[in-house]
Amino acid sequence: MSQVLNRLGKKTAKYIAVGRITLKQQLAYRMDFLMRSMFMLLILYVFMQLWTAAYSAQGGGLQATMGGFSLKDIIWYLVLTEAFSLAFPRLCTQIEEEVKNGGVAVRLLTPISYNGYQYFVYMGEGLLRFLILLACGSAIGLLFVGPPEFGGGWAAFAALGLGNFTLAFLLNLCVALCAFWVEETRGLEFVLQKLQFTAGGMLIPLDLMPHWLQQICVWLPFQAVLYFPAKAAVSGGAGLGGYLLLQLLWIVLLGGLAAWIYARGVRRLNVNGG
Amino acid sequence: MAVEKRARRSSLLRGTLPFLLTCWKLNLAGAMEFRLSFLLTAGMMFLNNTIWILFWSIFFSRFPSVAGWELSDIMMLWAISAGGYGWASMLFGNFNRIAYLVAQGELDVYLTQPKPLLLNVLASRMSLMAIGDFLFGLAMYVYIGEHTLGGLLRFLLALFLSGLFFLFFTLAAGSLAFFIGNAEGLAYQLFNSYVMFTTYPSDIFKGFAKTLLFTVFPAGFISFMPIGLLRSWDTGFMVTTAAALLLLVSVALLLFYGGLRRYSSGNRMVMRS
Repeated sequence: MSQVLNRLGKKTAKYIAVGRITLKQQLAYRMDFLMRSMFMLLILYVFMQLWTAAYSAQGGGLQATMGGFSLKDIIWYLVLTEAFSLAFPRLCTQIEEEVKNGGVAVRLLTPISYNGYQYFVYMGEGLLRFLILLACGSAIGLLFVGPPEFGGGWAAFAALGLGNFTLAFLLNLCVALCAFWVEETRGLEFVLQKLQFTAGGMLIPLDLMPHWLQQICVWLPFQAVLYFPAKAAVSGGAGLGGYLLLQLLWIVLLGGLAAWIYARGVRRLNVNGG
Repeated sequence: MAVEKRARRSSLLRGTLPFLLTCWKLNLAGAMEFRLSFLLTAGMMFLNNTIWILFWSIFFSRFPSVAGWELSDIMMLWAISAGGYGWASMLFGNFNRIAYLVAQGELDVYLTQPKPLLLNVLASRMSLMAIGDFLFGLAMYVYIGEHTLGGLLRFLLALFLSGLFFLFFTLAAGSLAFFIGNAEGLAYQLFNSYVMFTTYPSDIFKGFAKTLLFTVFPAGFISFMPIGLLRSWDTGFMVTTAAALLLLVSVALLLFYGGLRRYSSGNRMVMRS
């Protein structure tokens, strides 16, 4: 038993080391952080103008509530979804490049699972970015609409945060692994990204969507990536249990799908030289 | 003087135009080599824009009018923005790679060729994704645009102007690489921000932000076109737009050719890309 645990510990340490190295690498790219943060501030600024204009046109003006969201709730919701969305690394580009230039062969030779390696790189890169973007977004939120009133929502947000990164990784991995079949995955990645923007509730909370669309979105995994943590935060943690359960279910399903795609794709791979 | 003018016109007709046409023909032939990839990339871009329209449809189902804009205006805004960017990237696809080409020293190969430098650089690449954008612009017009001769002409003019704004703003941003070295990140972010601001109604911005959009960051000229040109012809807006475009073209050319004097490279041997 202790031997098994020892082996498991060593295996885990490998992957944690991958995450740690990626984190250190990321710290070197200060300019990239600055650019992303600037872009996020711009997006949030545009959305604030858009939503302010939309709420102003309503009967109750800026104090109006739509689908349970006040203007302040919407702005903080967008701060969270934008921070997540801009923090997610470009997994498709990385894997596509590796497949095209043959670098994938080196990865396959190392005694580490390919998908596991990509996961820890993804997490190392994404989590640090997220914290920085969240700080930036919070600054603009505080400045324009004042402090959030999340209460217990913070805990719900933290609980769903790790799962949403995992789910975003799996969705992107499923698309990225198509690089074993097609030369360009950028188009597919674009579509995935836009599905997260819309069906995932990044740009507009699902509660404000027409009823028929809400019914469709309920059956898709995208809501568990951005909508769940942001909605749980602004609603003070309501519905956390259900959100966690659904998130876990999608992680299991998509994890299985990614493993299946990888197993089929890697058999097709031909790399010349090395 | 007259002889010189005639010679220049003849060089344009006999040299530059056929050269451009050959470039575009070869670019298209190159894209067709990977037909599946081409169809996927262009198709996905079309789909990507359609998803944005879906977002706006959802938004306008809750808020029927935002700052006087309706869903049809937003659709036409996307038609102009995507379509304008589309034709500019199809015909002059290197315009958003200037910073990269300068930073990597890849201008060398163009400098050695006996063709107008900027035109040669710009026309030597065609963006596959942009074909999807262009087709999307046309499809939007067919779907929701004004189907009269006047409406068609105004739409074509809007497309033309929008493409020029994209081209020369991005050229100016990319030319910063001549002055500050590795400006790829900065040029990319400026381009992204420009694209973003051209796809939101200009009337949601007020005060200083609005001033910026009609001066140093001229995305407002594109994003006001659904109101100032497509809904009805607004002479004041069109004159200002023409003047702003002229100024932008001058600034972009000044930055490019002024920066070119400072250009140096490590004599890299590269293929045109």
